[in-house]
Parts: sequence; C-alpha cells; structure tokens
Amino acid sequence: MVLPVVACLTLAAILVWQIRNATSTVSLIETSDRRIALATRVELLTVDEETGLRGYQTTGDSRFLEPYRHAQMQLQQAISEMRAPGNGPPMDLGDFLVQHDAWRRGFAEPVISMVRAGGQTTDIELNLQGKAAMDRMRGDLNAIIQASEGRRSERINLWHQQTRDLRLAVATLALAIGLLIAWFTRDQLHAVSAAFQRALNREKQRSQELFESEQNLRTTLVSIGDGVITCDTSGRVQMMNPVAEGLTGWTESEARNRPLNEVFSIVNETTRQTVESPVAKVQRLGRVVGLANHTVLLRRDKSEIAIDDSGAPIRNESGELIGIVMVFRDVTVERRTHAALLANERLAVAGRLAATIAHEIHNPLDSVANLLYLLQHDPRPEDQSHFLELAQSELARVTQISRAMLGLYRESHAPIPINLKETIEEVLLLLEGRVHALDIQLTSELPPDVVVEGFPGELRQVFTNLITNAIEAAGKGGSVRVCVTPHYKEASNSGAPPVEGALIEIIDSGPGIAPDVRERLFQPFVTTKGEQGTGLGLWVSQGIVRKLGGSLDLVANSDGPGTTARVFLASKPVLNPGGD
Amino acid sequence: MERRGHLILCVDDEVVGLRVRKILLERAGYNVLTAPDGESGLVLFASEPVAAVVLDYAMPGMHGGEVAKQMRDAKPDVPILLLSAYVGLPDEVSSLVDVYMTKGEGAPALLSKLGNLLSSNDTSHPRAGDAQL
Repeated sequence: MVLPVVACLTLAAILVWQIRNATSTVSLIETSDRRIALATRVELLTVDEETGLRGYQTTGDSRFLEPYRHAQMQLQQAISEMRAPGNGPPMDLGDFLVQHDAWRRGFAEPVISMVRAGGQTTDIELNLQGKAAMDRMRGDLNAIIQASEGRRSERINLWHQQTRDLRLAVATLALAIGLLIAWFTRDQLHAVSAAFQRALNREKQRSQELFESEQNLRTTLVSIGDGVITCDTSGRVQMMNPVAEGLTGWTESEARNRPLNEVFSIVNETTRQTVESPVAKVQRLGRVVGLANHTVLLRRDKSEIAIDDSGAPIRNESGELIGIVMVFRDVTVERRTHAALLANERLAVAGRLAATIAHEIHNPLDSVANLLYLLQHDPRPEDQSHFLELAQSELARVTQISRAMLGLYRESHAPIPINLKETIEEVLLLLEGRVHALDIQLTSELPPDVVVEGFPGELRQVFTNLITNAIEAAGKGGSVRVCVTPHYKEASNSGAPPVEGALIEIIDSGPGIAPDVRERLFQPFVTTKGEQGTGLGLWVSQGIVRKLGGSLDLVANSDGPGTTARVFLASKPVLNPGGD
Repeated sequence: MERRGHLILCVDDEVVGLRVRKILLERAGYNVLTAPDGESGLVLFASEPVAAVVLDYAMPGMHGGEVAKQMRDAKPDVPILLLSAYVGLPDEVSSLVDVYMTKGEGAPALLSKLGNLLSSNDTSHPRAGDAQL
C-alpha cells in the first residue's frame, strides 16, 4: 500500500525538480534575450550618437545634436540597467565602457566643441580615429551580443535536453510505477486468492467432517438393536431406524410426518385400551419416561408384540423442546422366558412341595399303620387307649397338612382378603418337621386381625420360601422369629398419603449375607445353597410381592448375626405399579 | 415266626414314627436301639453289636444315603434296610443298602423283609451266641 504512494511521490518530486530546472533554464534564456536586446539597443544608441554627431559635424546645426544627447541619456539608462542586479551575473561591459568613454571624450566632445567654436572637423585622421574608436566599440558590443547569443543557444539546447530528460524520466518512472503497481496488485490478488482458497478448503474440510460425523451417527443409529423413532413437537414421525421399521411394519418414508399413534399403536395387553403415547407423556412431564407394563404394539399387519420402551425429550441449546425420541424393543420372547422361568420355579416348588407332602404325610400314616397292626396282632389292654391316641394325633397332623396343601393351589383371579396369622401358621405347620429336626427355636408374633388382599397360593409360596431360607440359615440350634405388624409405608411421590399395609419380618440367627451377595440374590439363578438351590426362590417371591405393590428386602440384623427378610404388603394393593 | 435277641438299630428323625417302630419291633421280639439322626446313629452302630439297621432316608443333616455309606465302610456285613417316604431313589443309594422299602407298605412287609435279611445273614454269616432257627 505504501509503495505506490512512495513511488508516486518520488515521481512527483522528480517532475517538480525537472520542471524547476527547465523553468530556471527558461528564465536564463529570457535573461540572455534581455541582454541581447539591451546590447542591441546600446549598439543602436551608439549608432544614433554617431549619426547625430556626424549630422552636427556636417551642418553645424545644434538640432542634429539632439539624437546624440538623447542617445547619451538613454545609453546611461541602458548601462545602469545592464549593471543592475537581478538579471543574472553582471554583464561584462568593461571594455565597451572604456572605449565609449574614450570615444566620447577623445572624439565626440572635442568635435562638438570645435564645431561650436566654428572650426572644421573634416580632418581625416581625426575622423578615422573616431571611426576606429566607434569600430572598436561596435566590435565589443558584437562580442557581447555574440556571447549572449551563444549563451542563449546553449541555454536553449539545455532546455531542450532538459525537456527530453523530463519526458524520459516521466516515461521511465511511469513505466516503473506501472510495473510496481501491477506487481503489487498481483501480489495482493494472489494473497486474496490464497486466503479465499484456504477459506474454501477449510469449509470443504469442515463440511466433510460434518458429513462423516453425521454418517457415523446415522450408522450408529441404524445399528442400534432397539427400535428408535423420533418425532417433532407436534408428534409427527421424523425418523425411524430399521429395527423400528421391522417392529412397526411401517417404512421410514411411509411413516414420515404421520402422527405417531398411526404408526406406533399401543394398547394394554388385557384391557385393550389405548395406552398414553410416550410422546404425549414426555410433553406432559418434560422428562425421560417409561411405558406402563403389559403394553402391546399393534403392528401394521394387525399382529401384536409385547414391547418395553422409554421416551426422552430432545432439547436444543437453549433448552427448548424440539422433539421427542423413543426407544423400544420386542420383549415377547423375554416375557415368555420370564413366564417359563416362573412356571419352572413353580414346578420346582411344586416338586419340592410334593416331596415335602410325601414325607409329611407318609410318616404319620406309616405310624398309624404300624399302630393298627399292633392293635390287631398283639392287643394288650394297656396299649389300646395309648395307641389309639397316638394314631389319632398322627391322623390329625395329616389332615392339617393336606388342608394346607390344598390351600396352596387354590388360585383366585382377583385379590382376596388374607389373614396373615392363619396363612403363616399354615406354612409353619408345613415346615414343623424341619424346625424340629434342626432343633430350631421358632417364635412368632402374629396379631390375629392383620389382613391384606392378595393371592393366597402366591403368598404361601413367598412365606414358605422365606421361612425355609431362614430355617436353613439358622441351622441346627438356631432361632427363627416371624413377626407381623400393621405398618404405613411412605409413598414414592411426596405429597401422596402413606400406604396402609402390614410388615412381615422373618428373622434368622444365621451367619448373615454379605451386602454385595444380598443384592444379587434377588436375581434369577443366584443361590448360596450350592446344588440344592435353584436360585429362583427369592426372584419369584420378589416378583409376587412387587406385583401386589409391596416390597421385599433382605437386611442384616442390627442386634446380632443373621438376616431379616422384610416384606411389606399393602392392605389394598395397587395392581399395576408400572404406570406414572 | 419270632426272632429273639437280634439287636436292631432304628434311625429316623420322626419322633413319633421312631417310637411306634420301636414298639413294633420289640413286640416282634427284637431288641431295639433308636437314634434321631445320622451322627448319633453312627455312634451307636460303632459301639454296639447291631445285627441290622432300619434306616430312614429323608433326614436333615446327613441323609440316609450318607449314613449307609459310612456304615458300610465301618461294618460292611451288617444288613441295612432303607425306609423312605419317597419313591425312586438314586441308584448309588439303593446299591448301598440290602433292602429298600417305602413307609406306606405297612408293618407286615417291614417285619418280613427284616426277618429275611437277618435269616440270610444268619445262614451265610453265623454269629456266636445267636440262637439258631
């Protein structure tokens, strides 16, 4: 940017300088002209002088002296002008003045005096002197004039040269500046072009990165094993991944911009009522939500699959809701497996119960048979009442046990009121043999009027499982305590009233369970009983209790070794705890 | 027929059942020792001249199979009769014992099977001081 300016200024300076030179040369030329004019005038004046003098010489009339005097006067003027400063160096007049003076004093004035006096001035010698003097003067003047003219020519030549130089300089400099500017501009253009190219490359790279990142995300999305559907805030489908397409029976292009319920139609498995769509739920609650349990997806071809899903809000940088994303998967197989496991466990329990039944019934019956045999084959009077008494008590035991057994498998479809004291006592009766065999101190605190609603068979299964665990944990000589207390449990939503129910605690004096094992025990196939345990008892029991809206926990005893199984059952259970 | 004097060891965790069985066997002419579990049964088995064992299978702690094994290791000649409330015991158990029967079969079955066990034992392994029948 600076360079062209500097170049132009330089050019201007050079021009100015050249012009000044030329101008001064011109003024010098003018000076020469003036000098030449002056010298010429002086010459003419001397001629006038001579002419005047001659005329006076010839006529003797003083009127002819007028030009002479006049010329003399003007000559003085001219000479002083010639000497004046400001016209350059003073002219070299030297000789001329002397000559002129010599002529005037030596010839002119004397002649005038002579003529005035009436004398004759035709003397040739005199006049020749005068002429010679005049010639000398003329010669000087000519020399002066010539010199001036010579200088004038020189100066004119100089001026010509200077103008030529000027033109050359201008041309050269203009060219140089032109080139400079051209080069400079080219340079700038290159810089601009390079910057532009770099910016372009950056943009290209960025857009490439963006594209790749989008591809990555897209691939990830497509590869997710669950179905993914995104909707805008008005609930219209924006995107579906292949798994979602497969599960719903709609392709992404068909589904786009349709309302979600058209594409993703969910109903409750049993009531067949439409379930609140996750989109509506997310919009209502503004957070991640899960579906209610027992939800079934009606596919496009009218077939059904059980699904499990969650929805989440999509927010932009300022936190506004801009869409909803839903993830769901087919749990039909999972449910079946779960159901199969449950059925299996029931069978296993049934099997164990069958063994228990056999044991608990065969033993008393065997004794009764033996007693009857004795009474028949070897009757002794003292035996009769004793043996009959024994037989009767054994039969009573059988009856009780079989009644308890029957109660176990009488399932109802709706929850019915269950007296906890009666149910637990039946279970304890069933396990009496084991309690005696292991010499266990069994105590119970069973208030008579604590009633909860539930399914009797299932609850018996839970108590049997928990009390059996306690017995086995307590071991030989240990103790087991069963307590039932009415209880209020804090509700999960603050502000809702506490739930009325009962707390059943089964406390053993065994070695206890390590905290990390305690958590895992509720998972299927985890057992601490080696080959004897199926690992499903606690899992099933927890499932039963939770289905009734209750809770089952194992905690370490605070007042000694061992574990407490703590069951909370609501008096009036809420049967579908999966909804919000 | 009555056998006199044979010492029978009965092992069962059922209190009433054990008592009734003892009465039954004593009325049949045997001397009876009882034990409520495997450990005490093994102690008696080792220290007493037991002629036969009537062993319950389903017991807490050591079950009948384990008891039978230890008895076999100690005195392999003593016949063992396994009583069980269950049907279908594993082969390794039934091979350990001489006779296996269920509790539902009744008193006559028990007495006759026990008698057979002892008589075959008597003939194949004569014991000093036993009455010959």
